[in-house]
Amino acid sequence: MSTAYSAVGWNRQKKIYDGWIAAFCISYLALFISLTLLFNSEATFETILIRSTSTLAVLLLHIILSIGPLTRLNKKFMPLLYNRRHLGVTMFSFSAVHGIFGIIQFHSLSNTNPLLSLFLSNTNYGSIPAFPFQALGFFALIIFFLMAITSHDFWLHNLSPIVWKTLHMFVYAAYILVVMHVMLGVIQYEKNPVFVLILFTGSASLIILHLLAGLKERKIDKMKFKLQEDGFVYVCEADEIEDSRAKIFCIDQERIAVYRHEQKLYAIHNVCKHQGGPLGEGKIVDGCITCPWHGYQYLPHNGQSPPPFKERVSTYDVRVNHNKVWLNPIAFAEGTEREGALL
Amino acid sequence: MNNNEFYIGWMPAAPKGYAKQVTIAIVVVAVLVLALASLVSMQQKKFSNSVFEYGQLTEVTGIYQQFPVPSIKVYTQQNNGSSFITMPLVGYGKHGAEGIIRSLEEERAVSLDQKQITLKGTLIYYDGKSLLQIDKHDKPLLSIAATLSSSHQPKTKELGTVDLIGEVLDPKCYFGVMKPGRGKPHRDCAIRCIAGGISPVFYVRQQNAGPLYYLLLDEKGNKLNDFVKNYVADPVRLTARAVQVDDWIVLYVDTKKGLQRTGGLSWFKENDELIYCKPE
Ligand code: HEM
Ligand code: FES
Repeated sequence: MSTAYSAVGWNRQKKIYDGWIAAFCISYLALFISLTLLFNSEATFETILIRSTSTLAVLLLHIILSIGPLTRLNKKFMPLLYNRRHLGVTMFSFSAVHGIFGIIQFHSLSNTNPLLSLFLSNTNYGSIPAFPFQALGFFALIIFFLMAITSHDFWLHNLSPIVWKTLHMFVYAAYILVVMHVMLGVIQYEKNPVFVLILFTGSASLIILHLLAGLKERKIDKMKFKLQEDGFVYVCEADEIEDSRAKIFCIDQERIAVYRHEQKLYAIHNVCKHQGGPLGEGKIVDGCITCPWHGYQYLPHNGQSPPPFKERVSTYDVRVNHNKVWLNPIAFAEGTEREGALL
Repeated sequence: MNNNEFYIGWMPAAPKGYAKQVTIAIVVVAVLVLALASLVSMQQKKFSNSVFEYGQLTEVTGIYQQFPVPSIKVYTQQNNGSSFITMPLVGYGKHGAEGIIRSLEEERAVSLDQKQITLKGTLIYYDGKSLLQIDKHDKPLLSIAATLSSSHQPKTKELGTVDLIGEVLDPKCYFGVMKPGRGKPHRDCAIRCIAGGISPVFYVRQQNAGPLYYLLLDEKGNKLNDFVKNYVADPVRLTARAVQVDDWIVLYVDTKKGLQRTGGLSWFKENDELIYCKPE
């Protein structure tokens, strides 16, 4: 919804969400700092700062990366997704404090520029045990930085959703960089199985969540539609679709959402123009198909966002015959009016 | 799922079913926050009680020695004043002291070697060793006394050839400025310090006693900062002629044999950087 990004402010949900983020971050830092001072009192301020912010950022990163698959497994996690970008920006801010202090602490006041020093001090790029782990952290930080500055919807529209989404998929590359940064860095000094275990548990949980979510979606994608009649395929019985809701069908690798609205069925492309949210998992609200991710809306009969918004998705033809729903998987141009099928 | 339950972020409140799920998520995150902050902070290796008297200047009087490393030999009150400690000098930030000493010598047009001088600097100390940081902004040279008798010349003793496994350290950080001041996480910093002229120290762990510290020179007695730079913070093996020089042992490293890395990748246990002290 092109003009919406300037209009949406800090509503109640966002305030609650941000309140929890702040409470958790402050508790983490307070606990980390006080326990370190209490039980390991020779610690220096710089090291406490570097370590508390970095480990908090890694915790946040795991939370951020869990939200996607969790919402796909259970829609009721959706409220966590709505404001996820604030989590991302927070995570970036803590990694930036860590990274910048790291550069100051380990590279400043020397005979070389600190940024050059980051890459040219330790030059064992060919060795795994001696690898310059700080460079890995640097590239992860750059990715988080690019994601943080483009997190506003302004950039989503200016970069186009596909470029934006691709950029944001780099978070997985950044995650791997961070894991290697820690495994080839501080863990080789600490040599404490607890740290290895923590990181392993974190990565394993993320992998399992993503696999489970992926398996669930594959089930939809693998559905076979055999019965064909002049271009239409039989997809389901009409009463399987609840009112104001949709079912998603994947035909020829395109996901299509078939919505039931006011005794008619309408079919539109399942992919939201905002960030690719699954429109078929949304609901009709005020006569509009409403995306479950951030609430972009589309009219069922033409796939267009109601004015003043300009988003459009493809539409499809549906037929109902003796309670059987038939769908033609050939898309009409985005925003093309289709009258729907009377029940 | 109840058909009427649908959530979009801009709704004023989430439906009940959603609110419950989110509450569960909040509790899980709260437990994670508490568990992780406690576990990670408590499991860190103990930091050493090394000291860098940051912001605090101390006046130190002693004999300046150019060899084996720029240092000041300070006599203490113990044993009728015959006890002393040799404190290597380091510069500001990641720099050695040679530049400052040279400019002080040029300024006064006098060589400081073997002269009794009073320096003002910042003390760094740990595990029986002390260093002094001098910074030209502090105007560190307070006085120079007359040349002293040769009784202050360092006492040396040949200890034979040794073959050791240990770690090349940047002593400024290790003995006080940073914690941890050695090992992989500190490696880049140590490389910068050694590239900046701080005299490297070799650190050897022993099985049943505290670590040993050695000064490093090449076989001809010259600085070898460039030679060791790429091996800093890794467990390495070296062969050297060991010579006791006052209260430090100097290793004249066989640079033709070179340094051999002995450590591999290890995440779980201290392994190779150990414990090897075999005089041949
Ligand atoms: C310019 C970028 C970065 C630099 C120069 C850097 C540098 C360092 C250094 C020197 C350490 C070892 C510190 C110690 O002695 O404990 C470290 C550890 C660590 N880094 Fe980074 N880092 C950077 C970016 C990142 C990023 C983006 C993350 C991920 C959020 C991250 C996460 C960690 C973690 C979890 C540790 C282990 C805990 C710790 O020692 O702080 N780092 N990093
Ligand atoms: S993906 Fe954001 S509203 Fe649809």
